[in-house]
Amino acid sequence: MSYHFTISMMPLALGILISGALALYTWQNRQAIGATSFAIMMLMLYEWEICYIFQLAGTDLPAKLFWDKLMFVGVVATPVAWLAFALEYTRRRAWLNPRRLAMLSIIPIITIIFTLTNDLHGLFWTSIALTYEGGFFLLDNINGPWFWVHALYSYTLITIGQVLIVRALLRWPKQYRAQMTWILLATLIPFIANIIFVFRIIPILLDLTPFALTLTAIGLAFALFHHRLLDIAPIARDIVVDGMKDGMIILDANQRIVDINRSAQQMIGLSSEQQHIGRPVADVLSKWPELIERYRNVLEAADEISFGEGGTQRWYELSLSTLLDENKSVIGRVITVRNITDRKRAERQLQESEARFRQIVENANDIIYRVDSHGCLTYANPATMRILGYEQDVVGRHYLELVAPEARHKVKRAYDHQFLSKTPTTYHELPIIAADGSETWLGQKVQLIFEDDQITGFQALARDITAIKQAQDALRLAHDRALEANLAKTRLLSKVSHELRTPLGGILGYAELLERNTFGELNEKQQKATSQIIESTEYLAVMVNELLDEAQLRSSAATLHESVFSPFTLIQQATSGMDILAQKKGLEFSSYIDPNLPQAIYGDDRRIRQIVINLIGNALKFTKEGSVCLNVTRPDEHYWGIEVTDTGMGIPKEAQADIFEPFRQLDRGLTADNRGVGLGLSITKQLVDLMDGKIVLESEPGKGSSFTILLPMKAVG
Amino acid sequence: MTKPFALIVEDDPKLNEIICLTLEADFEVETCIDGDTAMELLGNVVPQIVILDLHIPGRPGQEVLTHLRSNKRFTRTHVILTTADNRLAETLHNDVDMILLKPVSPTQLRELALRISSLQ
Repeated sequence: MSYHFTISMMPLALGILISGALALYTWQNRQAIGATSFAIMMLMLYEWEICYIFQLAGTDLPAKLFWDKLMFVGVVATPVAWLAFALEYTRRRAWLNPRRLAMLSIIPIITIIFTLTNDLHGLFWTSIALTYEGGFFLLDNINGPWFWVHALYSYTLITIGQVLIVRALLRWPKQYRAQMTWILLATLIPFIANIIFVFRIIPILLDLTPFALTLTAIGLAFALFHHRLLDIAPIARDIVVDGMKDGMIILDANQRIVDINRSAQQMIGLSSEQQHIGRPVADVLSKWPELIERYRNVLEAADEISFGEGGTQRWYELSLSTLLDENKSVIGRVITVRNITDRKRAERQLQESEARFRQIVENANDIIYRVDSHGCLTYANPATMRILGYEQDVVGRHYLELVAPEARHKVKRAYDHQFLSKTPTTYHELPIIAADGSETWLGQKVQLIFEDDQITGFQALARDITAIKQAQDALRLAHDRALEANLAKTRLLSKVSHELRTPLGGILGYAELLERNTFGELNEKQQKATSQIIESTEYLAVMVNELLDEAQLRSSAATLHESVFSPFTLIQQATSGMDILAQKKGLEFSSYIDPNLPQAIYGDDRRIRQIVINLIGNALKFTKEGSVCLNVTRPDEHYWGIEVTDTGMGIPKEAQADIFEPFRQLDRGLTADNRGVGLGLSITKQLVDLMDGKIVLESEPGKGSSFTILLPMKAVG
Repeated sequence: MTKPFALIVEDDPKLNEIICLTLEADFEVETCIDGDTAMELLGNVVPQIVILDLHIPGRPGQEVLTHLRSNKRFTRTHVILTTADNRLAETLHNDVDMILLKPVSPTQLRELALRISSLQ
C-alpha cells in the first residue's frame, strides 16, 4: 500500500482538526443538553474525514478499499447521531429510548457488513475500479442496490433532523434563531454536496462531501462558540418560563410579541397550537383595548386588574417593565401577570365575614366587650352604652371600675382564678355601676383570649339580669313566706283539730253514756233526743274529719313517704274496729286478703291506710242494710287491688263521672243516713293519683257500689 | 275473777270521766291527767290496757308510749291511742294496738278494750 498526500487535501485536514476538537470539547461539556449526541456526531465526522483522507491519498486499490470500507463506520453513524442531536436539542430526548436507537441502527450495521463482504455478493458496489483524474487516484464505483437503500435511509434521517430544527426555529424566540440557522446551514452544505456526488450532477469522481463537512465543522463551531449553542439551551428557557405559573409576555420595541409563555397564553385564552410570536400585542389582546390604552406609554407599572363580574370575576397582578439597551433606548417590554383571583376572593370573603360578624356584635342586644391583659376595656359594643348608659370613653377604663365596690373583691378573685387555672369559659353574675350610678346586675359568660398559649385578655358576653335578680329575690322571699305560712297553717289545723274534736268527744261520749242508761233510765222521748244528739255529733265528727283531711292534704306538699310495710299488718290495723262500727248500724263486715300478696311492699303505708279507712267508712255510711266487704287482691304482677263492695244505695251513672270531685256529695242532697261533706272520695282519688294508681267505680243504684283501687306493686325482695 | 286493770291518761276531765264511766263496769280503772303522773303510776302497776291521749300536760303521750314499749314489764300491756291529731297518731301505728280518732264513741271503745284485753 502506498500513499500520496497533496496540498489540496489541506481543507480535509482542517475539517479533521475542527471536528476532533469539537468532539473533545463537547464531550467535556456533555452535561449540556444535546452535547453528548453532538460529541458523538463530531467523532463520527472525525472518523469519516480521517478515513477519507487516507482513502484519497492511497494510490493502489487495496489501500483505497481498506480506508473506504473503514470510512463507512462514520458515514452510516453520522446521520443517526445527527438525528439524536436534533431530537435531544428540540426536547424530544425521551423519544430516543434504547430500543428505538437499536432499530435506527439496523440499516447502518447491515450497510457496514455489506461493505465489508461486498466481494462475496456485490450488493453494495457492483464494480470498483481505480482511475486517475484531476491529480487524484480515485475509486470509480458502480453502486449496487443496497447502496441506494443506505443513501435513502441516511437522507431520510438527516431530513427528519432538519425538519425538527426548522420547526423549532419557527417556534422559538429570536435569540435562538441565529444558532439554529447556523446549525441548519452546517448540515445542509454536506447534504447538498453528497447529493451532487451520488447522483453525479457534476460528473466528477471526487467525493466533495467530506470537504463540505469541513464547512459543517466550521459552522457548528461558530454556532457553538459565538451563539453559545450548548450554553443557553432553549430547553432551559422552556422549563423555566413555560413552567412558570405567572404569565410572561416579552414585547419588542414595536409592541410585537417576542415571547409568550404557556401561562400567559392560557390567561389570555390563546391556543398553544397557534403561532403568536411576531404578532402585535394589540392584536393578541384585542379583547381588552382599554388595557392597551392604559399602558401604551407606561415604562414601569405594578397594578391589579380584573376581568368579568361576580362569580366569573378574575383578578390579576400585572407588572410591566421596560427593557433598555446600553444606549438607554427601548428595546422591548416585559409583562408578567399573576393570577391573584384566589387571594382576592379570600380577602373579600374575610372582609365580608368580618363585616358580618361586626354587624352581629354591633346589633346584639347583649353586652359584648373585650378586656386586655391589663384589665382595660379595649372594645364595648353599642349595647354596652345603651344598657349601662356609658359613652364610648368607657373603652380604656379598668373593668373593675365599673363593678359595684362591694363586689369588686369577689369579682377580681373570680377573674384571677380563671386566669390562673386557664379555664376557657366561666359564668359570673355581678353588679355593675351604670353611668347614672344605679346598680345593674349582669350575668356574663367570660371567655379567655389566647394567643400562642398566652392569655392576652378576655371577652365577655353579658346580659342585664337585674329584673331576673329582683324576681329571684321576690320569689325567694315569697317561698320563705309560703313555707312559714304553711307551717302556721299546719299548726293552726292541728290546733283547730284538737279544739274541735275534744268537745265533740265530750258530746258524743256523754250522749252515748246517757243512751246506755249510765246515768239512770231514760224515757222514750229522752232516748230519742239522745239518739238525735249522737247522730248529729257523728255527722259533725265526719265533717270535721274530712275537712281537716282535705285541708291537710292541700297544705302539705303532696309528697309520699314511702317505706317497706306488710300489707297484711296494714289491712289488719285499718280494719280493726270496723266490725264494731258495722255492728252498730246492723251491718255485716267482712274482709279477705289474698295470701299470695308479698309479705313486704314498698309504699306510703300511712296514706294507703287512710285510703282503706276512707273507703270502708264511706261504704258503712251509705249502706242501710246488708254488708260491706273488703277484698285485697293481686289481679296481676304489676298491681295489687283494694276492693270495697257495699250493698248500699248505689250511685247513678250520671253522678259517677264526678263523684271524685270535692264536695260533690252535697249535690245529691242529704238524707239522714248518708251525711258527710263529700271530701272522702276526693281525698282518696288525690292519694291514688299521687301513687300512680287507678280507682275504678262500679255501681248500680239500689244494688250497691264497688270501689277498686289498683296500686303499682312495688314488692321488696 | 279479778277485773283487768286499765290506766286512762286523758287531760280533758270530761273525756276522762266518759272513758272512766265506759270502762269501769269491766275494768279496774285508774286515771290521770298528765304524763308525769302516768309514769309514776306505771312505776307501781302493770296495766292490761292503757287508754292514752297524746296531747297531755307534763311528759307527752309519745314519751309514755316509748316507756311502755321499751320496758319488758309492759310486754303484755295493750295500748289504745285516743287523739285529735291523726297525723301524729299514724306515725305511732306500729307501737299501739289501736288508734281512735276523737271524738271517740264509748260503745266502740268498750268493745275494743274488751276484745284487746282478752287477747293474751
